[in-house]
Amino acid sequence: MKSDAKIAEKFKDFTPTLDSRANIVLGMGLRGFEKLLSLKNKGTLFLIGIIYLWTFAFYLLMGEDSYPCTEVSEEITTCTHLNFYGDLQYGGTRIFLVMLAAIASSGLIANDLNDKSIHLYLSRPISRIDYLIARIIPIFLLMITVTVLPNLAIFISQFSKSGLDLNFLSDNKWTLSNLILQAIFYSISYSIIGITFSAAINRESLAAVAFFGTVYGISLIVEIFYEMMNGMDIEQADYILLLSIIHFLDIISYNIFNVDYFVTIFGSPVIIEYSFALIVGLYALLFFSFITLVNYIISQMEVTK
Amino acid sequence: MIEAKNVIKKYGQVTALDDFTVNIPKGKIGILGPNGAGKSTFVKIALGLIESTSGEVTVLGEKLDKNSIAIRRKIGYMPEHDCIPNKMTGVEFLIEMGQVSGLDYQTATQRTHEILGHLRMGEEKYRLIEEYSGGMRQKIKLAQGLVHGPELMFLDEPTSGLDPKARLEMLDTINGLAEISNTNVLLSTHILQDVETVCDYVIIINNGKLQIKENVKELVKRQTDTIQIRVGENSDDFISILKQNDNKRNIEITERWIRIPYENDESFKEIISAAASAKCQLYEMERIAVTMDNIYLEVVN
Repeated sequence: MKSDAKIAEKFKDFTPTLDSRANIVLGMGLRGFEKLLSLKNKGTLFLIGIIYLWTFAFYLLMGEDSYPCTEVSEEITTCTHLNFYGDLQYGGTRIFLVMLAAIASSGLIANDLNDKSIHLYLSRPISRIDYLIARIIPIFLLMITVTVLPNLAIFISQFSKSGLDLNFLSDNKWTLSNLILQAIFYSISYSIIGITFSAAINRESLAAVAFFGTVYGISLIVEIFYEMMNGMDIEQADYILLLSIIHFLDIISYNIFNVDYFVTIFGSPVIIEYSFALIVGLYALLFFSFITLVNYIISQMEVTK
Repeated sequence: MIEAKNVIKKYGQVTALDDFTVNIPKGKIGILGPNGAGKSTFVKIALGLIESTSGEVTVLGEKLDKNSIAIRRKIGYMPEHDCIPNKMTGVEFLIEMGQVSGLDYQTATQRTHEILGHLRMGEEKYRLIEEYSGGMRQKIKLAQGLVHGPELMFLDEPTSGLDPKARLEMLDTINGLAEISNTNVLLSTHILQDVETVCDYVIIINNGKLQIKENVKELVKRQTDTIQIRVGENSDDFISILKQNDNKRNIEITERWIRIPYENDESFKEIISAAASAKCQLYEMERIAVTMDNIYLEVVN
């Protein structure tokens, strides 16, 4: 059989020009993003559609007078865009955002772990961290698509309604940058949470359910406990909200806009006060732990096979 | 090609590689050893997938601790276990692996089709991998390691789980592809015949230590099949008679034993006849076959 092999000179003298490590990682990420948007992922595409529809419908319902900031009560001021994510009562997109993050991120590492192809990826000229970045990129870009883009569209629409008044831009320049920053913040946070669940539970569907269940389930439990603790006049009750990922991310998000953080517990807005250092420190610790956990899970895979 | 100096690798209390030192030349090299000998650990260390507890490894002239990622540009890896995604076609998977190795899409596509052509995969390359037979999956695993044109290919138990026909085909494919693409091969296996078929050099590892490093041809020469005899008086006459029958016969004489090459069962009759003629008493007569398996077992034990 060996003698039968036809030797192609091109094959024999193949001297490849290989891309840089950064380009390999970026390429992996972009191909992953493309896959998430493929027609095979009907659930993902459906949720993207819902988020866009909901955002624009909500924007129309809210009316332009309340933009960009309005008073919820005498002591609470909030902004329209924050409501998309800050409070289900007004926004509503958040549940779809979390659902989308859960579904789209669940297979990113789980599938590689499940079929063990991760060994082949890690034998390529990329490090473990490169691999993680390459797997975060698709979900991050997807989240950006459903956070930054609709918000920008609304901002542009507002600008258009102002009669393209340049004063609108100068008056709201911080709102614009904060909108983008907030969207990036949510996107990166949910992306990291997503790949953590994907790596920890190496079954795609289970990882998605666990992500959604944990994020929303804990949020609900925490709110109930918060009410109970408040009922018992426990002074430190506010801190229990930090156990809920949704509330925790919202706290930082509100800080980005320099707006008082409030939660709506059974329809009543309540102001919460934390030190900035506490929430930033806690966020850094939490997400560093997530990345460390994923890194550890992958390193264990390398050792065992 | 690969140089390891005093490499130690410990997994908790277990020492997988114990002060392992070896200098592996270029070519097709086999790493032999029983299960748990430390072969896969050495391959993974050489790939930079895991770090050694101590020691130094140089691959293709570059130190592994400083350039492990750069080195991976020049090497390909075919793992032992099944590790290919079922939900992709063979072509899609190889193109993806080519791109992850740093090839652009066009080159990766072209190279994929060339390799799959050499592997004699026809239209099935467009089918989902989950529909592939064991032999085809092994071929895809081999192809993904070669797609970026590596200088060195690590093959970890490439014939594991294959039926005899598929095994021979795989070995032939490895031989053919390695030769036509000028790729050095490091074949880790516990099957001796695989090394005989493919490799120029063999390294035998056991208990994490290097036991032997030898040219395969030299090792093959050590294979003998003899009849070992112990005789009483008149042994000189007995030997003369045997030599008269065939003067080219290589008779080995030690203080205790006389060893005569075994040709066929007639050799026994000839020995008995020669002993009778020389009035030489035969105390013991036993066929001793020293095969590659015996050599391997002797080294490993």
